[in-house]
Amino acid sequence: MKNNMYIKVLISLLVLTILAALVVTLDIGLKVAAAIILVLFMLKFLGVAFYFMELKTAHIFWKSAVLIFMSIFLGIILIIV
Amino acid sequence: MDLTKVNVKNIYYPPGGILLWIIIFLELFTFGMALVAMVVYSKDEPEVFHNSRLLLNTTFGLTNTVFLLTSGFFMAKSVQSFKANNNEKSSLYLKLTMLGGFLFLLLKSFEYFEKIEAGLTIGHNTFFTFYWMLTLFHVIHVLVGLVILSSVFVGLNKKKSKLELEDFEASATFWHMCDLIWLMLFPVIYLIF
Repeated sequence: MKNNMYIKVLISLLVLTILAALVVTLDIGLKVAAAIILVLFMLKFLGVAFYFMELKTAHIFWKSAVLIFMSIFLGIILIIV
Repeated sequence: MDLTKVNVKNIYYPPGGILLWIIIFLELFTFGMALVAMVVYSKDEPEVFHNSRLLLNTTFGLTNTVFLLTSGFFMAKSVQSFKANNNEKSSLYLKLTMLGGFLFLLLKSFEYFEKIEAGLTIGHNTFFTFYWMLTLFHVIHVLVGLVILSSVFVGLNKKKSKLELEDFEASATFWHMCDLIWLMLFPVIYLIF
């Protein structure tokens, strides 16, 4: 079960990485591209933290802490960009 | 204490250990604040940041992301095999994890060499000051991670291995932290400007 899960997570992370690189080549404006890239980054970050680092099995405090950090970081960057 | 029975749902026992998670948050805040500062500075010199970003090799950055993510995958598999008492498999996955780290460093060295050759050093402009400081600081983390993983590898391959799951998980968590930091750096430095 877990074997398949890790592979699925890895493939998803690689696809998200390639998508992020492709977004740069699209002519959709710098701000929109930055927003899409940062959302894709957030998904990858959470994928690594929750699955590879097994945070999904941890106490809610640690899950919330990662989510709050991510939201604050993403929010600040998106406001400034 | 039998660590396989530690309840990770307990607030004091996150996977990898509470001390390492405190370090992880400190690191994430440090890199996070530096990246926010970089974005703030980019508002003063948008053209400099855009043109400098175009001087970076996105393919290198992308390939390095693939190396670190794949390495993180093998790390997770290595911990999983260790928990199943399969030291042989765990050792193999650990080797692949370290290979990912070495490939990352190799490509990064090549990238640095290219930049230095082109005169894009730390003092070239504000963008490259951030580029060098942040990526070099991350490289130091990868180097430390490789040293930690090497010591785990030696412990794992001893005839009478005394390697504890807690130590193995802490090392793995440190390695994944290098992934997390790179995942923050890559989009901001290589893509958004």
